[in-house]
Amino acid sequence: MTSLASGSVSIPQRRRSGLGFRDRRRFFLIALAVPAVAYIVLIALYPLVQGIWYSFFDYRLLKNGGRMTFIGLDNYVQLFTDNTGRRAIINTFVFTIGAVFFEFVLGLGLALLLWRDGRFNRICLAFLLIPVTITPLVVGLIFRALLAVDYGYIGYYLAEWGITSPRGLFAGTATALPTLIFIDIWEWTPLVALILLAGLKSLPGDILEAALADGATSWQRFKLVILPLLLPTVFLALVLRMMDAFRVFDSIFVTTGGGPADATTSLMVYGVKQGLQFFNIGYASAISNVTILCIGLMAAAFTLMIRRADVKANEQ
Amino acid sequence: MIKTSAKRLGLAALASLALASTALAADKPYAGLTLNLASQNDQFAAVIAKLAPQFEEKTGATVKVDILDYGSLLTKTQADFVGHTKNYDLITMDIVWAGQYADNGYTVDLTDWIKRDAAELQLDDIYPATIKYIGQYNGKQVAFPFAGYAAVMAYRKDLLDAAGIKVPETAEDFVAAAIKLTDPSKKIYGFVANGQKGAAVAQDWLQYNAQLGGSILSADGKPTLNSDANVASLKVYKELFDKAAPPGAVDYDWGGREESFRQGLVAMMETWSVGAPGYYDPNMSKIVDSVAITYTPVGKGLPVKYGLGGWGMGINADIDDKQKEASWAFIKWLTSPEVQKEFNMEGAGSYIRKSTLADPDLNKKYPFLPVIAKSFENADGDYRPRIPQYPEMQDLLGTAVNAVLVGGTDPKAALDEAQEKAAQLF
Repeated sequence: MTSLASGSVSIPQRRRSGLGFRDRRRFFLIALAVPAVAYIVLIALYPLVQGIWYSFFDYRLLKNGGRMTFIGLDNYVQLFTDNTGRRAIINTFVFTIGAVFFEFVLGLGLALLLWRDGRFNRICLAFLLIPVTITPLVVGLIFRALLAVDYGYIGYYLAEWGITSPRGLFAGTATALPTLIFIDIWEWTPLVALILLAGLKSLPGDILEAALADGATSWQRFKLVILPLLLPTVFLALVLRMMDAFRVFDSIFVTTGGGPADATTSLMVYGVKQGLQFFNIGYASAISNVTILCIGLMAAAFTLMIRRADVKANEQ
Repeated sequence: MIKTSAKRLGLAALASLALASTALAADKPYAGLTLNLASQNDQFAAVIAKLAPQFEEKTGATVKVDILDYGSLLTKTQADFVGHTKNYDLITMDIVWAGQYADNGYTVDLTDWIKRDAAELQLDDIYPATIKYIGQYNGKQVAFPFAGYAAVMAYRKDLLDAAGIKVPETAEDFVAAAIKLTDPSKKIYGFVANGQKGAAVAQDWLQYNAQLGGSILSADGKPTLNSDANVASLKVYKELFDKAAPPGAVDYDWGGREESFRQGLVAMMETWSVGAPGYYDPNMSKIVDSVAITYTPVGKGLPVKYGLGGWGMGINADIDDKQKEASWAFIKWLTSPEVQKEFNMEGAGSYIRKSTLADPDLNKKYPFLPVIAKSFENADGDYRPRIPQYPEMQDLLGTAVNAVLVGGTDPKAALDEAQEKAAQLF
């Protein structure tokens, strides 16, 4: 009643303004969207376009008075022909694939273990989340201290007992990147577990019960019922971690600085060095763009893969 | 912006207050001014912050010292210069940044002011090498030296005596002694230097490289990273790391290197004189009674030269004249004989004046000052070329030398690759 009454009151006013209800509604919705659109244009689109533009120029703030010279795709060519650039691309992929693979496998295992609701599981979950709450930079510093061969609680004994080389894990070209992958796994597996656990908890109980009633084994239930239903969550977890791992910077920066040699130089470490240390804006932009492109392509590939798996599951 | 203008308003209010009391204003010409100083986190930084209130008392200008690590200092100040944001009035400038500063006109050219105030500055008392190298480039004086460091050799008398080894006088003797003194079973190592990728390993290698007769720039200013002498010295450097350095040294930067020496792990180390006060400080050093400082050993038959490094103070070229004037007053104050003495009594470890290095009180406290004095008289501040391309060359070397030390890469191949990239910078 009230809404009707107020509605009839406002009709003449609307007529006076010359706009119909639909137009007003449209304007209102546009007005609601303006801040969000402005935000995206200013914060995301503008820098992105600017970054693409810069990447076609030789643009160094510390040289030639910061003049821009058009050089076409030279910055991109340099990234793929330069040893450090190539190394950075390879390292970033190895890091991302290694870290996300183990985080997913371990995270899924943890999520299944913690699925049953109980006090013990809830306490475990709370403790598991501690690594996630620490900033990656601090995690890097902690591991740097722990693994130091001179004074680190872990590094000293690993070297003393001959498990690692006397120079330590971070100083070996073969061990530095795996160590950083391990650190990433340590920090982010709980997050993957948490996301997957949320997915597991939202699975429809009747389907699981039906599968149980049909006499499906645990493995059959996991493979044929749980996993297909969990796919959207899996996709979310994988994409989130993949995007994050691909732009790894902090933990490398504070532990190895990209070394030894170029063994742990990632695209972001290389880009930050070019951009913020040498102020080579053109080249740094090219590095960033390649990073964004890789992340975009991988996200697209994931989406496609998951969709295909989804379709297949529905057909069965 | 709002913050800045509020700050400016506040300053203006303060300034007008100060002006109101005319007597005060006459005594303190820069009352109400604030000078923001971006300082490298070396020993001198805390001392400057501690002494700055004295300058305020004298002139009325407040000096705010922002203490930054090397990387942050470089990034923040470069961004300030490039963006003309005037965040800093005074900037501590590493000796090797001179070329970039001069080329881009980041800081005020002090040449005329130095000429004008020569008497007040007591220029005769300042080592010419510090003025020449720390801030002079292509006829411009882009910074004024306030903290000169000499490359020196620190060693352990007890360990050398026990092994019956004389203090090495040539680079060749140094290498032999370092290897002989090493005994990993007793956790004693003959040598330590920076091995960490980046500026750390590049700068330490350049120091040994210069003493072994290498150079990364030809006489006509072209890069020569892969010269025979450089390749040979890099082989020696690697040999020292393999046979005489603590295993962790491949990952040491200055902090780790100094700590390993102070903790008694190492018999000999070439280092900057600025770290020396720390060896004599029982709060942080286990080697107070056995440490000694001497000249860096040079290769047989090579001219005797000692590495010079350190910091100058530059004035941001973007700030207004009154701020510049106050900043120059601060530089003159900081480098005056009285303040230099107090500065070093407080442990700054930073010298530019003959009178400071000859001061009896300081010599009593720090017995190694004559070594610095003689090193300054035969100083070479160009073994790390102070050209605009230096930061990038240093980075290339930082990766190349580290790659050699951690294994895998052949010294010649590593320097060849660095040379190829360096050539593109010129």
